[in-house]
Amino acid sequence: MVNNIQKEIISIISDVTGFEPEEITLESNFYNDLEVDSVKAIEIVVAIEKRFKVSIRDEEIPNITTVMQAVDIVKKLLKEKEENVQV
Amino acid sequence: MSRYSSEEYDVIIIGAGIGGLVCGCYLAKAGMKVLICEQHNKPGGYCTSFKRKGFTFDAAPHCFGSYREGGVMRKILKELEVDKKLTIIRPDPSDIIITPDYKIPFWNDLERTINEFQKIFPKERNIRKFFYLLLDTNPKSFSKMRNLTFGELLDEYFTDEKLKAILSLPFFGIGGLPSFLMSAFVGAKLFSEFLLDGGYYPKGGMQTLSDALAERFKEFGGELLLSSRVKKIKVKDNIVKGVILENNTFLPSKYVISNCDARQTFLKLIGKEKLTTEFYNKLNNMIPSNSNFIIYLGVDASFKPLYNPGSFIYYFSSYSIQKIYQSIQTGDIEKYNVFLLRVAHDKSTIYAGIPVTYKNKNYWKKNKYKFLETCIEKIKWCTSQDLLKHIVYKDAATPITLHKYTYNYKGASFGWAGITSQFSVPDFRKPSFIQNLFLTGHWTTLGVGISGTAYVGYDTAKILLRKEKPKETK
Repeated sequence: MVNNIQKEIISIISDVTGFEPEEITLESNFYNDLEVDSVKAIEIVVAIEKRFKVSIRDEEIPNITTVMQAVDIVKKLLKEKEENVQV
Repeated sequence: MSRYSSEEYDVIIIGAGIGGLVCGCYLAKAGMKVLICEQHNKPGGYCTSFKRKGFTFDAAPHCFGSYREGGVMRKILKELEVDKKLTIIRPDPSDIIITPDYKIPFWNDLERTINEFQKIFPKERNIRKFFYLLLDTNPKSFSKMRNLTFGELLDEYFTDEKLKAILSLPFFGIGGLPSFLMSAFVGAKLFSEFLLDGGYYPKGGMQTLSDALAERFKEFGGELLLSSRVKKIKVKDNIVKGVILENNTFLPSKYVISNCDARQTFLKLIGKEKLTTEFYNKLNNMIPSNSNFIIYLGVDASFKPLYNPGSFIYYFSSYSIQKIYQSIQTGDIEKYNVFLLRVAHDKSTIYAGIPVTYKNKNYWKKNKYKFLETCIEKIKWCTSQDLLKHIVYKDAATPITLHKYTYNYKGASFGWAGITSQFSVPDFRKPSFIQNLFLTGHWTTLGVGISGTAYVGYDTAKILLRKEKPKETK
């Protein structure tokens, strides 16, 4: 499950940036390594939100600069969602 | 760079619109063997001009944007050295918004424009902040905008309803949407490209921009095939093999880049049978942007326009975004009170655009000339009361005409509609189920004009070149 999240996020980033999935690592920096511009940044965020049915808080977005940070945020949000459902 | 046989191309690009031309230039410049196939007899797609009775008319786009220092269009034209082939002029003001109460010029000097707004709306404190937000290219500034409409963004910055309406009205012409539907992010891009850093014009007409790019493409070693419609993209074992022209000629290539309509690319050139149901449904549910009814008038030498020739005029007789939108949707011709207009720099022609929906062939056959006459009557208000006396030539393009010359789905002016729910269509750009196929141009993103299309073309070339690079070093 956890690995799938990572794989799917990398696949989304690959679709948007044109980098092959194997070129994208958890350490990749969106702006320095993956040449993400304003349009692509929004596209990645929206595609992730749509795919995992989560909503990333606006103020959190500027802090997401690496793939790892994106994966962590999605994991955190999915966990929160699960807990809410259980409650 | 790998060469297969003297017959095979590295890349075939379908469509010589701005996206295809820019993409082709970058690829050919990098040493790739590139062919562009274009169905029309001239390059440019929407960015063309035509001649009638000695007058030169721009067919659809009237200017381009993002040519400021650091602007994306300046970067591209400079890098390709296309700027050396053009004389680019910019009227001052580049644009004027006319409403029942105000005439607001957009000066080349942004501070001067901000002052114009500040004078009219002294109580509004965020005017400067708002305009600079629209021009900000830092990705981080945009995160908030992804879920907002442009209308909601305006609500956060301003209280005066008239000011909010004035800043919303231009979207009926650029992007073709009311602010309550327009994505804030797309709206910000369009507003900055067309109004805050817009109005750049290649002397001689928009065709000169397309011609200069086509010429440069050939100088880089690219081949341009005009009047050659592609009827099929050949795919074998999910890998692109080349294209088949309408005369059944097969042209092999390693990559194919489609710079034409996404629906046409997938449904006709690739074939519905090769798409998954999920992908097909997604494509079918996408909404195109509105089209335009474009009026071309040639006037005599004694014609004296009311406003600065070259400046683009947005004329609105109402502030009601809702009502205007309804009248566009229903095609209620008599109620139309929106048009975008420019008297050419040399005062010889008038170009006017009215946002419309597609309808069908019969509708436009029946209404085209009636609509043209109604519009000419209204255009008098912002050109000259004597306009009718000066008209030497008149004609119009309907959405059917726009479709006929470019095959853009429903004659859409801006690709897909720039609504928030349509954000993020990356798999239209590089579909995962067919290798070595790319799409570029305005159907792969949301709400862009010429500079946006040019940027997507540049970006596609960059992605493809990156893919090829490791093989070069082997």
